[in-house]
Amino acid sequence: MLFKEDKVARAEAMAVRNNVGWYRWQHDLVSITGPDAGKYLDYICVNDIAGAGVGVSKYTTILNDEGKVVDDTIVTNLETEYWVSTLYAPRFAKWFEKKSVGYDVQMKELTYEIDMYAVQGPNSLSYMNAILKNPIDELKRFRMEDNEIDGIKVKIHRSGFTGENGYEIYCPIEETKKIEEVLRNNEKAFDAKELRTLEVYVRSLPIEKGFALRQDMYGLSPYECGLGWSVKLDKEFNGKEALLAYKEKGHEYKLVGIELDPERESYEDIAQNEIVYHKGVPCGVVRQMIYGYTVDKNIGFAIVEKRFSENGTELTAGTNNAKITVCDKVFIK
Amino acid sequence: MALNDKLKETKCVETAWGKLIPEKECYDFGVRHIAAFCANIFQVMRILEPDFEKRTSAICDAAYMFNMAASSDQYLNGYYNEWNIPEFCEKSAWLGAIWGDSGDEYENMAGRVIQFTRDRVEKELDTCPWDIVGAELCNMTTAMFTANFDLTSKDTQNEVCLNMCEARGCGDRHCRVVAERRDVTGLPKQGWMDHMNQPVFDVHNTPNERTVKEGQILRNGKYTNAFGEEKSFEWAYRWVMEYGWVWCVSFPLVAIRDMADEDEFERILKIVFATAGKNEFMDPFSVKGLREYLGVPNEIGKKDARIMGSYIKFLLDTQLVPCEFTAFLQDEVRIHVKADDFNGRYEMAPLDELTLGYETLWHNAVKTMVDPEFSVWFENKDTDDMEIVIGHKIDKRMI
Repeated sequence: MLFKEDKVARAEAMAVRNNVGWYRWQHDLVSITGPDAGKYLDYICVNDIAGAGVGVSKYTTILNDEGKVVDDTIVTNLETEYWVSTLYAPRFAKWFEKKSVGYDVQMKELTYEIDMYAVQGPNSLSYMNAILKNPIDELKRFRMEDNEIDGIKVKIHRSGFTGENGYEIYCPIEETKKIEEVLRNNEKAFDAKELRTLEVYVRSLPIEKGFALRQDMYGLSPYECGLGWSVKLDKEFNGKEALLAYKEKGHEYKLVGIELDPERESYEDIAQNEIVYHKGVPCGVVRQMIYGYTVDKNIGFAIVEKRFSENGTELTAGTNNAKITVCDKVFIK
Repeated sequence: MALNDKLKETKCVETAWGKLIPEKECYDFGVRHIAAFCANIFQVMRILEPDFEKRTSAICDAAYMFNMAASSDQYLNGYYNEWNIPEFCEKSAWLGAIWGDSGDEYENMAGRVIQFTRDRVEKELDTCPWDIVGAELCNMTTAMFTANFDLTSKDTQNEVCLNMCEARGCGDRHCRVVAERRDVTGLPKQGWMDHMNQPVFDVHNTPNERTVKEGQILRNGKYTNAFGEEKSFEWAYRWVMEYGWVWCVSFPLVAIRDMADEDEFERILKIVFATAGKNEFMDPFSVKGLREYLGVPNEIGKKDARIMGSYIKFLLDTQLVPCEFTAFLQDEVRIHVKADDFNGRYEMAPLDELTLGYETLWHNAVKTMVDPEFSVWFENKDTDDMEIVIGHKIDKRMI
């Protein structure tokens, strides 16, 4: 849990919002190779992967046959291979095995070969330029390119999960300590901060910007999660038929933002999947509550019946009837 | 006509009298009964070893050793995979806290992880079904947590200083376990009796109005861990009916059995369980309450073996033990239950003490619940044909 009074968590959050913060941000990572790699990924992802040029990455969801989200990933075209970052490679591997029949593709897990650090915040570019061999002023969002840190070959990806400008450093796992040392040694010059509170960089910072995790979206359609923009209906993809039928029928649920009653100090009695009520009748579940240090509120996500998803709808959560109000999923623009 | 074709279905245990008890209530009842059995076992321990520190250290040693031995790298890797623990979450001692959190919620220890950082973990519980057992068990759980932390520690033991600074078993409002990294706090390595101290950093005390009365699996029908993986109520119910017996009965029994020879252990155990049984239905209103709860019809009189029979059957049903009536008469009730099912709730660690304890408990409970003319005994013990019998028996040395 995060509390308003937590000075350490607040300082970490504010470092990212106002300056620069860094942390180890290793995701499971898989490499997809083979003549059909692009074609295969284009089929299992809702976004246009085939259209991603070399060095370009795309955010996408992966749907099951029923058109519901089973994973969300960043897919990057590295010319000879595609990288798929996922929170959970073993599950992706099972999916790959099931869905790659008929495609000339191979999958290799890179999780234990490549480590990753995130550098996030408005001053992240200056910080990165100070540690990199080649400046990256021209690197666009969702682009990845080669570079060096202290003679170590790295890949730099302009992306992140905080809603601020930021970068991700991919390095060989055997060099991870050296990279960490460089990041730490440069902290002072930039008044940068290493983030050590998991909930700050996994939940508090992302939720303020409307970024959900796979677990928040699991079992919903991308439309219900507000990710309709990433669905490319002019191509074939797994789950498309079911998704279209579902879209036609009308969505039952929606992933929404929620704010806890400002009179209430905290959310100790609201767990993930705590039941949400409208006038005492269950109408959804909380996906996450957290304290947002930029908005200075207890905020979160919930899945609620569509008829209760309008901003301003007053609902309650949990057995103590905590008042919550439906709001935009993006708490700060 | 717009009428429903059938009623909404909800899982229940049906008592011998046709009353339906909802599954969630059965789970709650079943968990508390494990705790009650544990409380009796701890009374045995207190008689055999009068010294609080000696007996507490002994059960801590056993619990730590078994928790460590029960786990291997393969087991832990399976655990990481099952729980979807991402790579950015350092696989260090702190994962022990995630492990502990799931176990708490399966067992209806309702609360929350207050803090989960690299240097400190704080877990607060508002309820605990085991809060009737006593302080030795609270201490023992710190030994189990220590094992969880040591198991997931990369290369050192006692990487953390772990304190149960509040315990419901000691009369506190909450249970609270705080683990603080020793290399940050400079705290010394702890002995088994050093785990009930106050932590270095301040705790967060949840006010009453924001506490919870039930764990996630009862409130929400599932447990969700920090990484979004879920376990259903059904899964948790099964889990606690297996492992619940292991940690609070099997583990301490290893140490308790060493406190006396076998005859003395059994003699004391029988005395303790007999007393507990006699007291179970001593108050006349407790029998009235039981009859109401099980739905015993008014025409069934006081001296009727079926009252006890239906109680035992209900208890076993809530503990998910397969069993069936082979006789259900006023003067004789028989419940068939395989010995392996009765004792082997967790197959790998069968508990013969369950037969000994329950036979003694029920034989004495029937005296106050029904009538002293009735007895309860087990026939064909240790076989697939085991039967729990409620009937008339005269024994001139009956206790």
